Amino acid sequence: MKFKICHLYADLMNTYGDDGNVITLVNRLKQRGIDVEVDQVSIGNKIDTKIYNLFFFGGGQDQQQINVSKDLAKVNGEKLKEAVKKGSAVLSICGGYQLLGHYYLPIDGKKLPGVGLLNVQTVGSKQRMIGNIVVNLNDQLFENIKNVYSSLDGYEIKQTLVGFENHSGQTFLSGIKPLGKVISGFGNNGDDKGEGAFEQKVFGCYLHGSLLPKNPHFADYLIYLGLKKDYNDVKLEPLDDTLEWQAHHTAIKRAKENK
Amino acid sequence: MPQLQLSFAILISRLIRKYILFRKLGGGSAAPGLYALKVDPNLISKLCRNFKKGVILISGTNGKTTTSRMVSTILETAGFKTIHNRTGSNLTRGIASVLLENASLSGKFEADFAIFETDEAVLPNAIKQTGPKFVLLTNLFRDQLDRFGEVDKIKRIWQDALLELDRESTVILNADDPAIAHLGHRLISKVFYFGLEDPQVGEKELFKFADTKYCGFCANPLDWEIVYISHLGKFKCPNCKNKRPEPQISATGINLLGIGGSNFKLSIYDKKQRINLKLPGLYNVYNGLAAAALANSINIDTNTTKAGLEKFKAVFGRVEQLFVNNKSIWMFLIKNPTGFNEVIRTIFESGKNNNLLIAINDKIADGKDVSWLWDVDFEKLKGSFNNLFVSGIRALDMALRLKYANVKNPNLVSENFIQTFEEAVKSTKEGEILFVLPTYTAMLEIRDYLTKKGIVQHFSKD
Repeated sequence: MKFKICHLYADLMNTYGDDGNVITLVNRLKQRGIDVEVDQVSIGNKIDTKIYNLFFFGGGQDQQQINVSKDLAKVNGEKLKEAVKKGSAVLSICGGYQLLGHYYLPIDGKKLPGVGLLNVQTVGSKQRMIGNIVVNLNDQLFENIKNVYSSLDGYEIKQTLVGFENHSGQTFLSGIKPLGKVISGFGNNGDDKGEGAFEQKVFGCYLHGSLLPKNPHFADYLIYLGLKKDYNDVKLEPLDDTLEWQAHHTAIKRAKENK
Repeated sequence: MPQLQLSFAILISRLIRKYILFRKLGGGSAAPGLYALKVDPNLISKLCRNFKKGVILISGTNGKTTTSRMVSTILETAGFKTIHNRTGSNLTRGIASVLLENASLSGKFEADFAIFETDEAVLPNAIKQTGPKFVLLTNLFRDQLDRFGEVDKIKRIWQDALLELDRESTVILNADDPAIAHLGHRLISKVFYFGLEDPQVGEKELFKFADTKYCGFCANPLDWEIVYISHLGKFKCPNCKNKRPEPQISATGINLLGIGGSNFKLSIYDKKQRINLKLPGLYNVYNGLAAAALANSINIDTNTTKAGLEKFKAVFGRVEQLFVNNKSIWMFLIKNPTGFNEVIRTIFESGKNNNLLIAINDKIADGKDVSWLWDVDFEKLKGSFNNLFVSGIRALDMALRLKYANVKNPNLVSENFIQTFEEAVKSTKEGEILFVLPTYTAMLEIRDYLTKKGIVQHFSKD
């Protein structure tokens, strides 16, 4: 089996350690004997709409986000939509998440148009939302995640996602569901207790940390969804994630202590 | 009346400091300033006018503590008296405390210069309050994003603050850092640049997580002929006229000897002088060069600069060699991805068959966000260690990072740093080196332990 990852604007949107997500996906695919390749697409390159199982889109600084927004508006935004129609999964974080929505309106700048893959919009605020965050996953989503595994015998799995948020943009959802409910932290906007958003195979959230190393269930879910593009319902064997779940627990503990 | 208010503030701070030291409550480097500032909020600007030669501010992501200490050593070698916020307490109240500690009751000083290592976010305020004669900026990398916000934001507030400086001030900038070099363009003050001129120690490509890749004028991607560290190097913009400024003070013929230190040829216009540094790593060549550039702008001759730099030893916990039970231990402070990557490079230059202990805390002074561990090239550590130990509050995050970098399994992963340290020392054989890499608060913890054991001195005496 083969899995192709497209790291969107990897040279520009990489400020908060989000590369850990790509490192994690590659490592977990290799552990399962699946061939994996990572391509980077940046300003001026065109996205291939047929070949990628998964797109990863991380967070970056304001100026970089402006440049990326412009590039997406040319042709890559439409290309990304087309790829999703053809079965690619997408994980976006922070700045990437904001650009997958309809727009991002910074507090002191021009409105940045987004791709519109997620039915959300983001407005800048004066408050920076910074800290450890714990999210309780949407029940249905958690059921779907559990169904990814061939067997859960002896495998610890939790309904939480852990991470570290650092954003001033407030994201509001229209008619779509958040990834889950905030147990500790700010989440999408600090008001409605929701964090992240998803629509079928497209995901967005504010969780750095990096997200996937300490949330191996979510990493596996993305692998499962990505494989679905080319293969029929491939169930995954659980890996030895003892260390991953221990780190997950530490993050929950620190979020409680630092409240 | 203002004079009375100032004298009262000085008196208050003195009493608090005596009390803290008497009760052994700490180093006494922040609290006296905090309370005195309540009595006289303008005390910093009032006191800073009273230095014969002026105030020196040193800031930047990496190297500010070491560079400040080097400057202080050179100035003292040249016969000047200095005061300095030595213990790295570099927020406004730390600056206030060191002023108060050294001022007479009437607010006068014996010192010719005040040297202040200044936190990046505090620099604009420090410039306003201290009216510096000299400002030295080392570099700008991603660091503690949970506290500072973005790298770009720091650059913007620095630009605004430097524009306030007059003709009498001198700004010393790193020519190799496009973000820092760009700050020099519109200034009224005198500007000097320092930089490396040695392709042998450089690479052809930008490091993976370089922070400044775009032209400060036209936002076009920059081209690099040589890269020394992260995004420091010889850059130019293919679109506009922007390029790395010609440094007046440069380092050529650089030799890096791992923990054996380093040496380089200091070139100031046509004057050349070989400098032997006890400190390891290319980043310390940058620090030495920056200090030499500042000394040059004060008209200190290169022989004195050389003498000062060559007697300079490590700074409190930044990098130091210790012996515990006859085992050789090297401790390097780690703060951010660039610093960590450079420490890894230095460890590599020091040979194989050594042992490694990494301790990651996530308190405010360490940075609460540990995401940055994923921006460090741990993949390079593969196969280069006998024993590996992981500790600190976020030991598990670090262990996880190493697992995904396919580095060998640690001998021990434990949140208890002292215990892990003792285990690591035990596992180190004679003739081997134990490298200890703590974040800031972990470093304080181990220093405290070593002090109690009588291995290092209490830091207020440092």
